[in-house]
Amino acid sequence: MTQGRLILSETGRIVMAAIFALVVTLIIIFFASKTPWATFETFITSPLSSKRTIGIWIDDSAKLALAGLAFSLVFQARQFALGVQGQVYIGGLFATLVAFSPVGTTWIALPAGILAAMIGGAIMGFIPGYAKSKLGANEIVSSLMLNYIAYDVCNYILRVYLASLESGLTTSASFPPQSIYPAFIPRTRVDLGLVIALVTTLVVWFLLYRTAWGLKLRLTGHNARFAAYSGIRSSFIMVSAMTAAGAIGGLLGAVFVQGTAYGKLSIGFEAGMAFEGILITIVARNRPLAIPFVALGYGYLRQGAALMNYRADVPAEVIGIVQGIVILLVASSFTVPGKAMLARLMGNRTAASRATS
Amino acid sequence: MNEILATILSATFVAAVIRTTTPILFASLGGLLSDLVGSLNVALEGIMLIGALTAVIVSAHAPWYIGVLAGLAAGGFLGGVMALFHLRFKADIILVGFAINIIAAGGTVTVLNYATGGDKGTSINIPSKAIPELDLSFLGNIPAVGPFLSEVFSGHSYLTWLAAFMVYAIWYFLYRTPEGLRFRAVGEYPPAAEAAGIAPNRLRTYGLIASGCLAGLGGAQLAMFSFVGFTRDMTAGRGFIALGAVLLGRRHPIGTMVAAVLFGFFEALSIALPGILQWMPGELIHTIPFVVTVIALMLSSRRRLIA
Repeated sequence: MTQGRLILSETGRIVMAAIFALVVTLIIIFFASKTPWATFETFITSPLSSKRTIGIWIDDSAKLALAGLAFSLVFQARQFALGVQGQVYIGGLFATLVAFSPVGTTWIALPAGILAAMIGGAIMGFIPGYAKSKLGANEIVSSLMLNYIAYDVCNYILRVYLASLESGLTTSASFPPQSIYPAFIPRTRVDLGLVIALVTTLVVWFLLYRTAWGLKLRLTGHNARFAAYSGIRSSFIMVSAMTAAGAIGGLLGAVFVQGTAYGKLSIGFEAGMAFEGILITIVARNRPLAIPFVALGYGYLRQGAALMNYRADVPAEVIGIVQGIVILLVASSFTVPGKAMLARLMGNRTAASRATS
Repeated sequence: MNEILATILSATFVAAVIRTTTPILFASLGGLLSDLVGSLNVALEGIMLIGALTAVIVSAHAPWYIGVLAGLAAGGFLGGVMALFHLRFKADIILVGFAINIIAAGGTVTVLNYATGGDKGTSINIPSKAIPELDLSFLGNIPAVGPFLSEVFSGHSYLTWLAAFMVYAIWYFLYRTPEGLRFRAVGEYPPAAEAAGIAPNRLRTYGLIASGCLAGLGGAQLAMFSFVGFTRDMTAGRGFIALGAVLLGRRHPIGTMVAAVLFGFFEALSIALPGILQWMPGELIHTIPFVVTVIALMLSSRRRLIA
């Protein structure tokens, strides 16, 4: 397949997924709303209704893209570690600790917070990876358990050491201004997080498609046994992929708490957004460069659902049903038969580097 | 320390362990059946949640056993949906499982919102019913051990006894019937099973449906006995812990039961501890079942690697 045709077919797939999502939403709204057409119109048009809502859409999309990138790295290695949520909490916690340390009021606050968050996330990614490769512990279960543990630990430290007494809610005090991303457009949530998401996309793409490590990772993901026979230390690749993905998850945590939308740590700050990265990466078929576009599209639907919650009679949680059904449809309708994939892998190098799903 | 020991050894604590184990045991047995045929069911969590909500809503309008059956049917239906997408449309089973979990997390809140007329948190204003307790207080008449026995075994849900029976029934099915042998063969090495004239996909479908039914029962027990009423995300990771119990129990019904009891024990402990150890923060006590799952998973897998 030439590059042009590949982009065309991938775009077609993503557009198909968007159509699925819209049709599913329309059907649900017809069942759930007393005024379905008006509700559907709210759903479709409201994200663009003001500067503020557009800002939220862009900011959410940047976060969704980061979550998608974290999942795509582990899924490319054909690991099903689902620990991004826990990594986000630990990353957010570490960034918070930096923000309240003496460093937090200096110019180094932002990079230090990001670095600390990435280290925290990387540790959270490493644990299930190591447990899988050295001890044979199932990574799905261990990474999910770590999510619950990270959530509780984060809440504990927040409640006991960081909670600010001025509000009734359990949140920390606001970060010093040096530790909060500056907004690019005043009075919106469009901030440094957008740049971080775009840079991370390019870095992940580069790592996967332009380095030996990335080739080995994708080979391991396609056929672990084949990779092992070709002399690839697949357990090292596996663990390093999960650690790198953990670093992205931690980074997302920093983007959450240091972003203009928050600027502090609060209970359950990611509100389930980390898991929505699964949808992003499945629709993008783990391709880093497609992830920002899918994130923009899904972020739009998500924002539409949230506003529908306020302005119409359909709850925002509907988006979860839409998301699940889109995953089912996308995951089932675009499966490449294993034989064809193997043939492509065994073919010439360029073919191998393109066979990615 | 003595206080903790005294609590753990008391009859009320043993009874609490039985109560916390029951939902996990149902879900683990479900996970076992699907895992044996080679389709790891990561949707146990979501199926339990949907089963719980279905049971609550139906029991508000019908006798309790109809509510339980509705939870079971909802679970079986979801198992069938998983089988359809995984086997017929060739979607990855893990992704299908996660899609079900995501639908369950959002869908239960949406349905709850309509069923209660706007409450997204709990079903407190729906007059749902509870599963009655099975009264075995006559055990108290046995000399010496009577009071202990009656405190441990009396007053449990009917479903608890069904769960205990299911462990035996599933063991009998898997190891004493020809169909059970086929069931295990499919998961072990599908091509061989196919060569022997067994249709793997048919058995996988049965495995997934049965797995959904059992997880649905677990959900019904949770929402109609452990707590009466539905709250959002009330499964709180029990489905995933159940998955851990399957792996920890070496994919054997008895082993799975032992692992489920272990997790039930730590859940009951995490409920009992705040009263005893007041200095220990609640959040950290809450992590105990999850930490135990991770550690148990690592240790048990290690032994398997060495052996």
